[in-house]
Amino acid sequence: MRIDTCGLILADDKRINLGELMRPRALGAVPFGGRYRIIDFNLSNMVNSGITSIGVSTFNKYKSLMDHIGTGSAWDLDRKRQGLSILPPYISSDAYAGESDDLLGILNFFRARREQYMIITSSNVIMTTAYNDFVESHVESGADMSVMYNRDGINSGEPNLILDLDRRGHLREAYTNPAKPVSTRSSLGTVCIKRELFLDMISYAISRGIPEVSIEYLIREHKSINVRGYEYKGVALRINSVQEYFDATMRSLTEDVAEALYWTENPVYTKVKDEAPAFFGETSEVKGSMVSDGCYIAGEVSESMLFRGVQVGEGAKLDNCIIFQNTQIGEGCTLSHVIIDKNCTIRPGISLIGQPDYPVVIGKGATV
Amino acid sequence: MQKKDMVAMILAGGQGSRLGALTNQMAKPAVPFGSRYRIIDFPLSNCTNSGIDTVGVLTQYQPLALNTYVSNGHPWDLDRNNGGAFILPPYQQIEGTDWYTNTANAIFQNLGFIQNFDPKYVLILSGDHVYKMDYNKMLNHHIKNEADVTIAVIEVPWDEASRFGIMNTDEDMKITEFQEKPAEPESNLASMGIYIFTWDVLKKSLRADARDKDSAHDFGKNIIPALLDAGSNLVAYTFDGYWKDVGTIFSLWEANMDLLDTPDEIDLRDASWRIYSRNPVKPAHYISESATIKNSCTTDGCRVMGHVEHSVLGHSVIVEEGAIVRDSVLLPGSIIRSGAVVDKAIIGLDSVVSRNVKIGHTADKKTEDCVYENEYCSHGISVVDNGVILKENAQIPENCMVEPLEGLSEEDDVIESTQLVW
Repeated sequence: MRIDTCGLILADDKRINLGELMRPRALGAVPFGGRYRIIDFNLSNMVNSGITSIGVSTFNKYKSLMDHIGTGSAWDLDRKRQGLSILPPYISSDAYAGESDDLLGILNFFRARREQYMIITSSNVIMTTAYNDFVESHVESGADMSVMYNRDGINSGEPNLILDLDRRGHLREAYTNPAKPVSTRSSLGTVCIKRELFLDMISYAISRGIPEVSIEYLIREHKSINVRGYEYKGVALRINSVQEYFDATMRSLTEDVAEALYWTENPVYTKVKDEAPAFFGETSEVKGSMVSDGCYIAGEVSESMLFRGVQVGEGAKLDNCIIFQNTQIGEGCTLSHVIIDKNCTIRPGISLIGQPDYPVVIGKGATV
Repeated sequence: MQKKDMVAMILAGGQGSRLGALTNQMAKPAVPFGSRYRIIDFPLSNCTNSGIDTVGVLTQYQPLALNTYVSNGHPWDLDRNNGGAFILPPYQQIEGTDWYTNTANAIFQNLGFIQNFDPKYVLILSGDHVYKMDYNKMLNHHIKNEADVTIAVIEVPWDEASRFGIMNTDEDMKITEFQEKPAEPESNLASMGIYIFTWDVLKKSLRADARDKDSAHDFGKNIIPALLDAGSNLVAYTFDGYWKDVGTIFSLWEANMDLLDTPDEIDLRDASWRIYSRNPVKPAHYISESATIKNSCTTDGCRVMGHVEHSVLGHSVIVEEGAIVRDSVLLPGSIIRSGAVVDKAIIGLDSVVSRNVKIGHTADKKTEDCVYENEYCSHGISVVDNGVILKENAQIPENCMVEPLEGLSEEDDVIESTQLVW
C-alpha cells in the first residue's frame, strides 16, 4: 500500500564519536558491510517503502557523503518528480545567525513537499526494513508522533534514549543514558510524524534559539504532543561507538544477521564502483568472512570484513579485522581485532593486535 | 543530432550456435563471463574508454537479455543527451520487413542511423570477443595511412592460421590479399573482425553490395574482397594483446580459466581501463567457516560454504556446505547443493545442481552411454543449461550438455524442472 510520506535522514550526530573513523567523514558516510555506507541502509529502507522525496541533512565534512550519494541515481532517486536533496548547512547571505540557520535548509525543503507524513531517521542504526507497517500503524493510532524502538538497546553504549511507555503504548517519559533504566525499550532513532506538525515544531525551536534538530529533541516534546512507541522486532545494529561499530560488523558476519540485513525482499542499494571480481590465490585461506570486489587475497583471513580492493599478502594472518577500501596488507603481517581505514599500507611483517573489547583503529591513509 | 567523429556499431545479433544450450534463450554477447561481466561489456567498455560516446548495438537473435542488459547504456557512461547507446533491432519499413541477413546487411539497414551523426569514421565491432583495445590508436593509424578501411589483425600461430580469415600485407601493412581459411596461408595475420571505415567508403560499398543479388552480405566474404578488387586503400592494424573469441564451449571455459591462470594478460584490475558492467545490487561475498576457496574468483552476492577450487563464480552463486566445485564456471544465480561434485563444467544461470549430483570425471556413467553427449562439448567440459534444476543423485559425465530433450526415459532424464531466465 502506498504511504503518503517523505523522508529526512539526519546523516550526522554530534553526540556520536567514532574516533578516527569519523575524522574524515560524517556518520552516515562511515563504510559498513564491505561495500556500503551507513546511509545506504537509511536510503534503501526509504526507497523500498516507496518514499521517494528524501532530504539528507548534514553539517561538517559532508564531502564523502555528497560524493557517495551524488544525484541519488543508485537508489533510483535521480528524478524529475520528487527525488533526493542534500541539505548542507544553510547560510543565508551575511545574516548568518548561528547554528539555527542549519535548520532553515531543512525547513525550506520540507515546506515545499506535499506529502502528509514524514519519516525522520538518524544514521546510527543499521537495519533493513520497509516503513509501510510503521507508517500505517502510526496513522491508525491517531498519535502525533510514533517512535520506533526495540528491546535490546539497553545493552548498547551511550547515547541511549530509554522510553517509559504506559499500558496504551504512549510515552510517559524519555531518559537519556539512565543509570537505572525504567524499561528495556530503547529508541531506534526513527520517528513518524505529520509533516505540518514537524514544521511547526522546528519553527518554534528556531524562534526560541534552539539550534538543533534531533530525534531526541522531538521526543522530549512529548508533554505538548502525543507520542507513542512502535516496537521493531527485526535485527537492528546500533553504532554508538567504535566498539559497537566493531561488534555490529562481527554480528553481521553471522548467518542470521547477514540474512536479515542483506537477503530480504528489500535490497540494499549503493553506489557502483566497477571493480574486478575478488581473487583468491593459491595460498589463500578464508573463513567466516566477507570480501568485496577488487580484493586480492593470498593470505589467511578469518572472521573479518574486507572492503573493496583490499589486498592481503601471502603469509599474512588476519582475524577479527575490518579493512576498508584499497588498503594493502603486506606479506607476513599479523592483524587481530583491528579496524583499518581506507588507502592504508601495512608494511610486510607488521603485527597489530587489538582486543575484542578494545579494537585498534588505524586512520585513513596511514602507513604502518 | 550533434556531429560525431566516429560512431561505433556493435554486431550483437548472432546466435553463437556453438555455445549450444547457453545461447538458446540469449544472444552470445549477453552470456555472462568472468564472474561479474557479460561478454558485451568488453566492446562497450572499450568504446567508453576510447572516448567513443555513440554506439549502436545491433540485436536480432533472442535479444531480450541483451536489450534489457544494455538498456540506456548507463553503466558504460553511454546514457547521454548527445549520442549514447542505441539498441538497433531490425524494423519494418514501407517496403516490408527484412531481418538482418548478415553482417553487412545489418549495417546497411542502419545507414540512416549513422547518417544522423554524420561521422567521419565508422567503427564496426563484433559483440562477442573478450579483449581490451584503445580504438583511438587504430583510428590514428587509419588517418595516418589515409586508409579507406583499416582492419585490426592479430598474429596467430602458423599451425592455426588455416582456421582464420588471413590478411596478406606488404611491408607498409597495406593489405594485398584476403584469404578465408586458406589451406596454405601466406601470412599469420588473422582478421579480428574489427574495422574502421571512412564513412563515404562504407556507404558506397554497402549500397553496391546491397544491389548484388549473389552476395552473402558479409563483411569478410563480400565487402572487404570487393574493396580490395576495386583498388581501395586497405590497411592492417596489428593488435598486440589478449583477445579471445569465446564462440565455442571450450574457448568460453578457457577464457574464464585464463582469468585465474594468467590474470595479467587481460588484467581486469587495471584501473586505467575499467571494464564496466550493470550492477546486480547484491551484498558483499560471504565465505563461511566451513568453506575452502582457492585459486578462484567471486563477486557480489556469492555465498560459499563448500569447497571451491580453480573456479569462476558469477554473482549470487551459492555453494553449499559439503559441495565440491573444481575447474568450473558457475554462471550467476546458480546453486550447488550439498554433496554435489562439479568438475570442469559450466553451470548455467539460475540452475541448481541438486544434492549428490556428480558432473564430470567423478560421475559413474560413461560419456558414450549418456543421452546428453554433445558435439559442442569438448576437452572434458560439460555444460548445464540455464534455468535447469537437476534431479538429486544425477550422474553427468564429461562432454555432455544437459538441456531439456524430447522423448527421454524417466531414467535418462536428469532434469527435475526448468525455469525461464534472462
